Amino acid sequence: MADQNMQTDVLIVGGGGAGFRAAIGAREAGAKALMLSKGPLARCGATPMAGADFTLDGRSLNKLGFPGAPEDTGEKFFNDIITQGYYLNNQMLVEQYIRKAPQRLKELLDWGIKVIFSEERAIFTSGLGLMDALLKQARTVGVDLLEDTMLLDLVAHDGKIAGGLGFDIRTGEFIPIQAKAVVMATGGWHKAFWPNTGMRDLSGEGIAMAHRAGAAIGNMEFITFCCNVILHPPVWRGSIATYITSLLCGGELTNSRGERFLDQYDPYVVEKGTTMEWNKGFISYATAKEVRQGKGSPHGGIFYGLGTIPLESFERNAAPIFPNWKYKAMDLAEMAETLKNGGTVEVGPAVEYFDGGIVVNEKFETSVPGLYAAGECTLGPFGSNRVCSAITEMLVHGADAGQNAGAYAKKIGAFAPPVEAFKSLEEKEQVPLQKKEGLRVAEVRRRVQVTAHKQLGPIRNEKELTELIGFLENVQKNELPNVATVSKSRIYNKEWIDAIELENVVHLLKAAALSALNRTESRGVHYREDYPVSDNDHWLQESRVKWDNAFLKVGQCPAIITSLTPPKGKMPFLEMMKTMMQSRSNIGGHH
Amino acid sequence: MQEKSIKVKVFRFDPSQEKEPNYQTYQVPFEKGMSAMSALDYIYQNIDSTIAYYDHAGCDLGICARCTGVINGKPGLFCQTILEGDATLEPLPKSRVIKDLVAKKGEERN
Repeated sequence: MADQNMQTDVLIVGGGGAGFRAAIGAREAGAKALMLSKGPLARCGATPMAGADFTLDGRSLNKLGFPGAPEDTGEKFFNDIITQGYYLNNQMLVEQYIRKAPQRLKELLDWGIKVIFSEERAIFTSGLGLMDALLKQARTVGVDLLEDTMLLDLVAHDGKIAGGLGFDIRTGEFIPIQAKAVVMATGGWHKAFWPNTGMRDLSGEGIAMAHRAGAAIGNMEFITFCCNVILHPPVWRGSIATYITSLLCGGELTNSRGERFLDQYDPYVVEKGTTMEWNKGFISYATAKEVRQGKGSPHGGIFYGLGTIPLESFERNAAPIFPNWKYKAMDLAEMAETLKNGGTVEVGPAVEYFDGGIVVNEKFETSVPGLYAAGECTLGPFGSNRVCSAITEMLVHGADAGQNAGAYAKKIGAFAPPVEAFKSLEEKEQVPLQKKEGLRVAEVRRRVQVTAHKQLGPIRNEKELTELIGFLENVQKNELPNVATVSKSRIYNKEWIDAIELENVVHLLKAAALSALNRTESRGVHYREDYPVSDNDHWLQESRVKWDNAFLKVGQCPAIITSLTPPKGKMPFLEMMKTMMQSRSNIGGHH
Repeated sequence: MQEKSIKVKVFRFDPSQEKEPNYQTYQVPFEKGMSAMSALDYIYQNIDSTIAYYDHAGCDLGICARCTGVINGKPGLFCQTILEGDATLEPLPKSRVIKDLVAKKGEERN
């Protein structure tokens, strides 16, 4: 079976919203575009599973024909995103987000998405409908699309990106791809944790390979755990359906003793922290605290029930998102019955979004010429805590990254394919397949995932982080090199793919654990129980991890500030959270 | 607590290496509310890592529809079909099997 060779101007890695929009952007710049979708076209990554919300300033939303909030301004929205991020945000990226969001929404409406409902600063639409609209537009403008295809590593020539080694998952064939520019849009790395809320393709290879290629990565310790994610029964585990009902309909959270454990917190924080998208940070923290104190549910969470919410209002508020209690293809009627009869569902925090990643400037260039990045795989605009929409992020990033990559590709001259580089990568990737005997990947991976969930969860401390780093180093040194697949067939070899992914997962976990250990303060979604104070005097810094021939080195650099100067001083974590909540402009909505 | 297990019979076929398909039966611990997908995950993780089912990009939540198969003779999604007892899992369609439970879908890739 001959391996295929491919050539393009802009190679887009990732078939979620950021990938599609970047591919469209490259075509808009007049460049050829090849997009690799790791799974089924328009049905992989995190986008199809999203609710999905799109946030922008209320005045722009009003100008687009929705009620919105005419009294809102870009400045107010800027202030709110920055305070939600506890002042750690890259303010240039926040400006770009606010500036470009309205036109990204306008084009979605032109492309036919259906708005389910809207509020002051957001519209709600279907993640599936969004993907279908993007796929249609990508086909219309002539993007070359490959599905069930992933990228294993990047190749460079003369210090510039020259393409990468693709991989046909169905046949197990390598696809050397020559490209003048690459846009990394591979999303998050949910697969590093168990349980998680992500599709099974989200294993972060984009961040890992960009890092290996010399790009800077940062803020890896900021990981958003969605709260109230279903933990049991297994058929619904990982679903955010209860997260959505808790946000839209309310409800009651109790621990294993039947205590309404949120009652111990400041009522203002509880109110904002349950009715707004602040809840991911706050409730995940509060849940983790109960579980770590031994008051958790059998599967490591807490219990969600209706409490005193009247049935009628619960059903009314849920109906737009859950017609007949169907959420996408899941039939939640049985769960709804349980809740209506006064029962509870086991829910808890599960990793959902990654606030850090590949470092990009406001043109979405990385530090490697020709390499761009967009969407969740970047160190984006949300600082230490994302409240506003990642759907907006993927689209504002994707369009600009794609257009800039396309313009760059058209300017630079052609070069010969780096054949030797491709060959040596192919040899490396085949090791688990060719090794006669060894460790089972699945067993190693599950241990890694469960340990990560425990020790890199919403609540961290020095002891657990140090243990985690030691554990990961042992896996890297003694287990990963000894992994071997049982089947030696290249056809849809799940074990081979898992082995390839696991190396990247361990790399990113180690970067995150090192960063979390280094950050001796608490901010946003990073909480250190041994350093429970937010420190604006020393820690308005982005974490950085450098890759030096497989050795990871942690550092930091000042957060990028343009117009909003953060206040100095230190504050205990929950007090800082309250202050940030109180700093929000007087515009309504869930964000 | 009763420890119940179920017998899960799985269609196995690698057209690149074998002439004919065969079935393999695995003993899987029973958990109330378990899906066919969680049974396959158990088999892959604990018994037989050579088994192939659409998982590299599966959503496990009934959205991507790539785990479409046949469960006890009825077409459905592996991830959304709850197993109550012994089960037979087969690909759909059998005529376009890439490997085991992974089959080529209707639309050819671009």
